[in-house]
Amino acid sequence: MSILLDKNTKVLVQGITGKIGQAQTKWMLAYGTKIVAGVTPGRGGARVEGVPVFDSVVEAVKETGAEASVFFVPARSVKDTVFETLEAGIKLVVVVTEHIPVHDTMEMRAEARKAKATLLGPTTPGILTVGEAKMGIIPGNLFPKVGGRAGVISRSGTLAYEVGGILAKAGTAPSTVVGMGADPVVLTDLADILKCFAADPATDFVTIVGEVGGIQEEMAAEYIAEKFKKPVIAYIAGRHTPEGKRMGHAGAIVQRGMGSVQSKVAALEKAGALIAKTPAEIGTLAQRLTGATA
Amino acid sequence: MRLHEHEAASLFRQAGVPVAPFAVARTADEALAALEKVELPVVIKAQVLVGSRGKHGGILTAATADEVRTKTATLLGSAVRGFAVESVMVSKKVLIAQELYVGVTVDAVAGAITVILGTAGGIDVETVAKERPEALYRKTVVPPAELRGHEARLLAREAGFRGDLMVKIADVLIALYRVFRKSDAMIAEVNPLVVTPDENLWAVDAVLEVDDSALFRHPEMPKDTLARIDHPIERAAKQIGVSYVDLDGDIAIISSGAGLGMATMDVVGQRLKPANFLETGGGITEELMYKTTDLVLQKPGLKGLLINLYGGINPIHEGAKGIVRVLKEKRVKIPVVAKALGNRQEETWATLREAGVIIVTDITTEAAVDALCDALNH
Repeated sequence: MSILLDKNTKVLVQGITGKIGQAQTKWMLAYGTKIVAGVTPGRGGARVEGVPVFDSVVEAVKETGAEASVFFVPARSVKDTVFETLEAGIKLVVVVTEHIPVHDTMEMRAEARKAKATLLGPTTPGILTVGEAKMGIIPGNLFPKVGGRAGVISRSGTLAYEVGGILAKAGTAPSTVVGMGADPVVLTDLADILKCFAADPATDFVTIVGEVGGIQEEMAAEYIAEKFKKPVIAYIAGRHTPEGKRMGHAGAIVQRGMGSVQSKVAALEKAGALIAKTPAEIGTLAQRLTGATA
Repeated sequence: MRLHEHEAASLFRQAGVPVAPFAVARTADEALAALEKVELPVVIKAQVLVGSRGKHGGILTAATADEVRTKTATLLGSAVRGFAVESVMVSKKVLIAQELYVGVTVDAVAGAITVILGTAGGIDVETVAKERPEALYRKTVVPPAELRGHEARLLAREAGFRGDLMVKIADVLIALYRVFRKSDAMIAEVNPLVVTPDENLWAVDAVLEVDDSALFRHPEMPKDTLARIDHPIERAAKQIGVSYVDLDGDIAIISSGAGLGMATMDVVGQRLKPANFLETGGGITEELMYKTTDLVLQKPGLKGLLINLYGGINPIHEGAKGIVRVLKEKRVKIPVVAKALGNRQEETWATLREAGVIIVTDITTEAAVDALCDALNH
């Protein structure tokens, strides 16, 4: 079991004929993902790794029944492509692309809400359900063959890999790893992804991998305190971040106490979450929570 | 990218914001010539990209032409909060009955745009938000919607304004919202917006920060993005296409993601002192890694280098070749520890090992830091 994605999900790859699109399609197929179609306007009729390519999303959906889409589309085309994808009825979209203008993200977010679709990103590594399927760029070889019972939600990409691997090593492997993206405005909120895990009978507890900047963790803390019944482990990266400095992620900027590690940790701790001070501590806390051993 | 006040002021004026008459001067003579366009008395403002200029001697007033010459000369030779003053803005000094705050910004909570009208302007708005939140009136707008006339008037009315003044304030809010949208801004702000005794409005300040990711569609924006970065290594990093932040310590760090980079700093910080934050993002090539490794090693007094990479979208086996080239060319003597996991990790390890890099295959960053401490006998 899992959230949002499993081995039966029919996946569409947009921008499949590009260099990154091709390489990642190969990795996703190798992991077991059921990729049924690709879209690159102007390249309809081609094949990439045996996957048929279409000119439009509507066509791809009609011909193959694709129900989820992952983007390897250049930043300047992402907004239009998201609108096209939502219009074609797709309800799960993973936007891997980084450096998307925030005004575009705000418009996409509004459109996604209207369409009642889950859009991950921008700047997300995607989603991986251990042992079943992955959409995006999370390397599969960091995880065991069979999924466990730990949900992972991460704002950062690379850190999601590390935490997923740490949980697996601790004997508490992830069920689904979700990257939500690290831009100042995200397409789906952390709390909304928590709701998916709340409803998943195969997930026993959730690990939140947050970072300095933005207020997603603070907003999620309110939801956890009020409604979320499963245990939560949280690690917030960036204790050594100097104030007022941008740390690569557009969202990771500390200004006058807002979005600081301290405010996030305090909010999550108050909501009952177990706080890890380093990524490795997540493994220790997960073992304590589940009684698992490495 | 943050714009200079005079650049923002020009864009605001084009959009219909009533900006007090001004001219830009790079010499005292130019400031005198400005008086043909701008009536005395005037305010002379250092054009530097930092806030609180007033408190740090960057804003002076002048009532006579002589004062304009001497005070401009004073400012042009000086630095405000460490930023050299290369030009000043000469603006008409307006009479003040009340100072307001107007701002439009990206609101991370709503994932939308927030328009703010404050009845206590002229002071730091974050302080107002903390101490007198009741003085700030907000309206959330979900783009692509515009801020409509009636919405802006309602906001001004809620803030207690009536009659012509209410309408004029609403017009400023609408104009500011337009600039914000048109220029892909992160923030557009006037603080203060002055109400004169005869109830006219003058913007006597202009802040505009444009989203770097949107600059590709704004040919009208200044081209000197790089020159606006103060720190030389941070500037060079931007040129390469990576993010670098200078820190106090002596352990150089290279990571392939922002979150991983911050976590690496956290873990290194427990036992050693990070010299920098560096993240490559998803664009690793041999060349990018060559330039990046060369860059972080420029800082004097380094004791070690920690490389923390994941091969998801990044071809780390290509990146490894770039790292090795630098280590060989520069004959690097400090210990170099690498944790590189993911797609094609074995090839990556072999390339790095051959150049004497200590390879850590455990998934935890702690293990990499332990290995570095061992190498340093720390």
